[in-house]
Amino acid sequence: MGGPLAPARSPGTVVEEESDLDRPWVTIVWDDPVNLMTYVTYVFQELFGYDEAKATELMLQVHHEGRAVVSSGPRERMEHDTSRLHAYGLWASYQKDT
Amino acid sequence: MKPFRRKGEEYVARLDPAEAGIVGLLLDQLELLLTDEDVEDDAVVARLLPEGHRGDPRLAAEYRDLTRASLVAGKADDLATVRATLPAEGGALRLDAEQAAAWLRTTNDLRLALGTRLDISADTEPPAELASEADQQLAVYYWLTAVQGSLVDSLAAGRAGRR
Repeated sequence: MGGPLAPARSPGTVVEEESDLDRPWVTIVWDDPVNLMTYVTYVFQELFGYDEAKATELMLQVHHEGRAVVSSGPRERMEHDTSRLHAYGLWASYQKDT
Repeated sequence: MKPFRRKGEEYVARLDPAEAGIVGLLLDQLELLLTDEDVEDDAVVARLLPEGHRGDPRLAAEYRDLTRASLVAGKADDLATVRATLPAEGGALRLDAEQAAAWLRTTNDLRLALGTRLDISADTEPPAELASEADQQLAVYYWLTAVQGSLVDSLAAGRAGRR
C-alpha cells in the first residue's frame, strides 16, 4: 500500500507484480474559463506550499494542456486535497494514477 | 470602486453605493443556491460543488457524503464574513488577512456562478454596450473580476512581503 512515505515511481519504471493497490492516487486540476491565472497560482501556493515558480508552472500546465496533476499520494489524502481545492472553487478531481 | 491594495496588515478598497448594493444582492442569491436542497441539478451548484471523482459513481457518492456538508458550511462562513464586512451603503472596506481570504473565495464563487449562467468561455469579451440584461450581467462579471484580481495581487504581494 502506498503511504505518505512510499517512494514515488516514475511512469517509466517497470515494477514486477505491481498490484492495483500499489499505484498512487492523484489530484488533478482541470482548466476552466473563469478562474484567474493569478488566482490559481495563489491557491497552489496557499494549499500545497509550492513556491511561486512551481505554482506558476502547474497553473500554466492547466491552462495550456487542460489539466495538471497537483498532488499524489494515498486516496484519503487526495480526497482531502480535492475538497480543499473545491473550497477555493478550483475544478479538481482525484483518481488512481494512470 | 477603488481596487484592493495592501496597507500595513490590512487590505483596503472602496465601493460605490451601487456596487455595494449589487454585491449584497449577489450574496443573497448565492446563499439561496447553496442552501436550497432542490437545486441539485442546477449547473451553478454543480460548478460550486463539483464531483470529486469522475467516472466511478460509488467514489463520487462517497466524496459527496464525506465533503459536501463541510464545503457548504465553509462557503456559508465565507459568505457571512463578506456580508458582515460589506459597507451596505458603499464606502471603505478594510479587511484583515482572514476576512480577505473569505472575500477572495466568495468573489470567486460569485464569478463562477455568473460565469456558468452566462456561459463564459475563453473567447468572451466585456460587453461593448449595456443594451440587454445579459450585457449588464456580463459587466457585473467583469467588475467582479477586477475586484478579485486586485485582491489576489494584494494578497500575493502580502505573502511575498512576509518572506
